Amino acid sequence: MLKQTFKVLDMTCSNCALKLETLEDTLAGVQRIDASYHKLEMTIEYDETQLSVQEIIAAVQRSGYTAALANPPK
Amino acid sequence: MKKTKPSIDPVIFVTLGVLFIAAAIVWLAVQAGADSTAGNSGLAGQLLLAFITGLTTGGLSCLAVQGGLLASSLAHQIEQDYAADLPKRKGVKKSAPVRVNSALPIALFLSAKLVAYTVLGAALGWLGSYFTFSPALRAILMIGIGVFMIGNGLRMFNLHPIFRYFAIEPPKLITRYIRKTAKGADPIAPLFLGALTVFIPCGVTQAMLATALGSANAMFGAALMFAFTLGTSPVFFIVAYLATELGAKLERFFMRFVAAVVLILGFVTMNSGLNLIGSPLALQSLTRSLFPSRSAVASAPAQPAPTNSGELILNVQNRGYSPQVLKAPANSALILKLITSQTYSCARDFVIPALNFYQLLPATGTVEVNLPPQTAGTQIPFTCSMGMYTGVILFE
Repeated sequence: MLKQTFKVLDMTCSNCALKLETLEDTLAGVQRIDASYHKLEMTIEYDETQLSVQEIIAAVQRSGYTAALANPPK
Repeated sequence: MKKTKPSIDPVIFVTLGVLFIAAAIVWLAVQAGADSTAGNSGLAGQLLLAFITGLTTGGLSCLAVQGGLLASSLAHQIEQDYAADLPKRKGVKKSAPVRVNSALPIALFLSAKLVAYTVLGAALGWLGSYFTFSPALRAILMIGIGVFMIGNGLRMFNLHPIFRYFAIEPPKLITRYIRKTAKGADPIAPLFLGALTVFIPCGVTQAMLATALGSANAMFGAALMFAFTLGTSPVFFIVAYLATELGAKLERFFMRFVAAVVLILGFVTMNSGLNLIGSPLALQSLTRSLFPSRSAVASAPAQPAPTNSGELILNVQNRGYSPQVLKAPANSALILKLITSQTYSCARDFVIPALNFYQLLPATGTVEVNLPPQTAGTQIPFTCSMGMYTGVILFE
């Protein structure tokens, strides 16, 4: 299991965070998602053998938001 | 063939239908009561009075106080709909207005309010005289809610990241549970905020709560508050729905429009709270201090001088107090006579914060208040319990 934090700067309210958390139910390989409107970020715990960062970013985009890794590899 | 969305949300018809059915039930109960009580004010008569009071003065005055909470719950829905519509709008030069699903949150808000007040009515009827809201507690709540609304308005204007913390984020445990059970639907905000209105009852509502309290009967208290709150619902629904539908058509200015409304309501709520504690920071007090020549003091109509027995007369009317400025002689004890005549507005829920005086006046009658001697120049503000109608006694 891998835990990654993404910045989602276009969240506009608490409902956006709730909406992002629903990906937990629809995205295969996701263990847990905690999204925060206060911090404009989303922490996702997932199985890296089933899911990639790019797939997560694409799924977030389909929900209407733009995600980027909070600490991208240098 | 592509299905077109109906222009009016079916939830409106359902909600209005429920309201009309409920009104019909109350009406039938009244008819039965009128027959059995032969003209005296029996149970059904009191319920009808409560319903009509809610439908008329109650709806508007409660909207003035609680409209902010409703606007806040709608703001969540509006933001959600706006955000949901954004992906569809990308690359489209001239798009249709965002459709706001405002009927459902309004209906949820009003349903929660109805249930909350019915339960409160039952609790008050049961508790009898052991439970009451003091003006100071209500003032603190109103100021707190005002600050919350102003913070939310500024958040929606995206003024500073700090204002994001004014948005309520329910505990993850709860949202997770709700998501699992409601499949992503988000009815919590309007339900929660609707239930919260019990903490900021308007003056007319307080009069009803006082009646429920005095009844010392849980069933009657519940029925009374149900009839009254039901009466306030159509005004809430129509005003709120029209306001949000109008907002949806404003397109580009949409979010700012909602933010401005929340902001204004926040200031109004906070100002009412300040009035309720007689604060010099309340708008009316500031106006009197900063612009004495333009304030009501200068333009106050001639008032009868205190009588020989040292009585000041204040007429408590449905639209406020007359005169708004009472001039009184300094250094002598006085009696303030509060006269009501068919007064049913919140003006009859009378508060003098400086004297810690608070009383629900009879709809028709006279109540006397002892005023201790005051030095020249002293100002004692008075207000209704929702901080809407105000006035001042000037000692000179």
